[in-house]
This record gives sequence, structure tokens and C-alpha cells, in this order.
Amino acid sequence: MAIYELTAPFNPEDIKKLRIGDLVYVSGKAFTCRSRLHRWVFDEGHESPAAAAERDLLIHVGPIVLRENGNFELVSFMPTSSIRFEKWGARSVDAWDLHMIIGKTTMGGRTMEMMKKKNCVHVSPRGVSPNLWVNSIKISDVELFDELGTIEATWHMELDRLGPFVVDIDTEGNNLFEHIDEIVSENKIKAMELLGIPDDFEYTKLY
Amino acid sequence: MITTKIYEEVIFQTVVRGSTVIPPDVEAAFESAIARETYASAREGLQRTYDSLMLSKEIKRPACPDTGWPIFYFKLGNDCKLEGGLMGLEEAARRAVAKATKLGFLRSTMKHPLTGYDPGNNIGMNIPDFSYKFVPGDGIEITYVAKGGGSECFGGTRHRVVAFADGVQGIKKFVLDCFQASSRAGAICPPSVLGIGIGGTANVAANLAKEAACLRTVGSHHPEAPFREIEESLCEALNMLKVGTMGAGGDTSVFAVNVEYAYTHIAGIAVATSSNCMVARRASSRILADRSVEEMISPDWFEGR
Repeated sequence: MAIYELTAPFNPEDIKKLRIGDLVYVSGKAFTCRSRLHRWVFDEGHESPAAAAERDLLIHVGPIVLRENGNFELVSFMPTSSIRFEKWGARSVDAWDLHMIIGKTTMGGRTMEMMKKKNCVHVSPRGVSPNLWVNSIKISDVELFDELGTIEATWHMELDRLGPFVVDIDTEGNNLFEHIDEIVSENKIKAMELLGIPDDFEYTKLY
Repeated sequence: MITTKIYEEVIFQTVVRGSTVIPPDVEAAFESAIARETYASAREGLQRTYDSLMLSKEIKRPACPDTGWPIFYFKLGNDCKLEGGLMGLEEAARRAVAKATKLGFLRSTMKHPLTGYDPGNNIGMNIPDFSYKFVPGDGIEITYVAKGGGSECFGGTRHRVVAFADGVQGIKKFVLDCFQASSRAGAICPPSVLGIGIGGTANVAANLAKEAACLRTVGSHHPEAPFREIEESLCEALNMLKVGTMGAGGDTSVFAVNVEYAYTHIAGIAVATSSNCMVARRASSRILADRSVEEMISPDWFEGR
């Protein structure tokens, strides 16, 4: 396990050397998105936000931002679960030329395939620590605020050593959580024993 | 008579506390889990979460930006007199939620289920959610729960009817399977406070599970031995899975398993689970008939059951 400090837009060579379990701190230019923007672009056929052409770091997040007198104050930030965007994952990596996605949980097989092809990784938070993160983020602009609302809008974020995040999908098609799934499944056998549930237990079928 | 002005302010303060401060029992659960944890990465995740929570309390910011579904539990004295009655109370609660959203204590999270329309204030059809319990007395106790989306959406909250033939074994198997699936990749933000509802119709079991997850204090136990046994054995078994902080491996997968029950039909046993995130948020306040107000450490929802 190694610890890296990277800056977006990324040097593709830096992305290639990341392996699952590595930790990263990220600086530079990012943009945000949730379900509504994916649907807006990939299902409803609207143009991608300008940030998607200029920035290769996407954060799956719905932040709390107060907007007063043309200024933005970031109140709270915690990446949201990426797995719910799996339907659009591969297309977003491809169309927006992403090199990194920051999001909670992980993504599925189709997105992982595209990440391998496009040299992109997924990284996730190790805890829920919004107050340790907000000072590492400046909001510089917003797109689609009126169309999509405050938490689904595309926020432009300038990051200063935001992290740590753990690499859970690397560019070789490895997924950290698939390894953990195996360990949990093995441990489940012992848990069943403790609970006195036979390993061939089957529910009586009611429906 | 408890005036609108008094209860509206108390509701607002309870909403703010519910979003920004985790209760002492959850704080203690973090401290003991950090002290016990043998996986360095899980310990660091817990410690960073704890440090952020301490800051939330100090600077009055949301403990997590997903401030979740706005849920109110009112424990109402049978002789309690409220200005404007219960309709006035609910109107005041809606105003308090809208105000807390405008000020950034809550995120504008509630949207139309089909169109995605965001009213910007967390107010809409059947939202906020209100539940009541009626007790002797002339005061009112108000609990606000900010129920996060992760813990609710990824299979942490489920229902199944278990046959009497499968009994306690079937109940435990269902909970184990649900937790394994929903904690994958940290979707429900473990370590979880897991609520289990046993018996009743599906909605009764689901409500009991949610109340067990959100209103019981961590470290409390069901007073009846067979249910306490389910709590303790499941707590031990789920921690054996080593799901850990945010599902990335670790010794603590659940802070607590809380079981509540209702009598059921001879035909089957409804079982529901409801998980609460490690950032398990709730706040309670009491207003007495003499208009004195106090903050409560526990919602005391199951006192007398």
C-alpha cells in the first residue's frame, strides 16, 4: 500500500500506477454530479456541462452549499454512493474522459471495463468526515443550478489536498471490495455456526 | 396551554441538534470501537469520523451532508394542551424543517419521486413523517430523526415473512443475509445501528425496526430474555463478518442490534430490518405544561414498550 498526492488534470502515468488499497490525496480541478445530471445528459440528450470537457476528476456528491450575494459557501461535503449510477457509469467515463471518480462504495463490472480501457480509477472515503474536508475545497462556479437544483447541479470545485481516499478500482480491473466480499463470505460460515444455523438451511417457502 | 411560539422554537432547536450533534450513547460507541479496533485502516476511518463529529457539535454544522428523511416522533401526554392542536404542531414542524433547510442545517434532499422536482425546503407529500405515542401526563416529548439515504436505500431496510417452522433460526438467517448484502462496499455506512422488528403486519414490523434503529440508545437491551438473546447473538455474529468501517474490513460492523416485537398472526412471522448509519442522528426535547423545556438524552420511546 502506497500513499500518493496527485493533481487534476492528471498525468495518465500517475493514474496507471495506482493499485487497489493505495491511498490518495487529491488537488486541482473537479466537478460534481448525481443521478439527475447523468439522466439529463445520457437519457434526455442535453449537452454535457462545460466542466466535463475541461476536467477529468468527477465527484459523486450532493453537497450543502449556501448561495448568498453571488458567493458560495460550502457547508458540508461527503461523497455519495457511486453504485447507484452504474447504469450510466461506463458512458460517463467514456464521454467525459475521466481519470478518477471519487464516490462512496464502488462501481460495477461494465464501468470497471471502461475504466480499464480509458485509464480511470475509482476512489472512496474511509469514514464520514465532512468537517475535515470542507476546508480543502473551494467552489468556483456552478452549472445547471436552475435546471437541476442545488444538490444535483454541477459544482466546479478546486481541491487542495482533499483526502485520504482509498483506491477501490484500479486500471487493471481489480476491485478492493470484491476481495472483501470473499473474506466476509468465509466469515459468514463461522457466524452461521455461532447462531446455530445449519449450512444447508433453507427457508420454508411461503411465496 | 403550550403556545405555538414555544413549541415551534423547541422543534427548530431539536431539528438543528438532530442534524449537528450525535447523542452521547453513539459518541461512546465510537470511543469504545476506536479503542478496540485492531485494523489500522478501520480505526483511522472511525477516528476521522469521530473528529468530524466533534467539530460538527462545535461549529453547528451537519454531522453528515445527507441529512436524510425528516422524521418526527411525538410522545404526547393525554392531557397535553397545545395551542392550535395537533394540526398546529405539524404545521410548526414543517416550518421548522423549511427554516433549518434554508439556514443549511439540513440539505434540500426531499424531492418528487417521479419528476425529481426539488422544492428546496424538504417539504412535500407525506414529508416530514410524523409518528405519535400517547401516554399519561400533560407534557410533550419531541424527537427528530435525520434518517440517512445510504442506510435506507441499499438493502439495510427490508422485510420478509418467516414461517413458524423456521422460527428464530429463520429470523437470524434473514438478518445475517440482509446485513451481508447491504453492508457491501460500505453502502449503509457501517458500523450500523441495526433495528429488527418481529411480528405484526409488514408495516408494524417495519415501523418497529425503524424505531429500534433510531430511537433505542446504543447499549440498551430488550427486557425480555428471548429478544435480548437475539440482540446479543446477532451483534456478535455480525461483528464476526469483519465488514468494518465503511465496509473496508474491521472488527466493528455493528454498534448495536436492537429488537422490538409485536404479537403476530398464527400464519407467519413478519420480520423487518432497518439499519441506521454510524452517524446515527437523533435529538429529543421535552416541554412540560408549565412551559419549562429540557433536552433529553434518550427519546424514551420504548419506556413501558
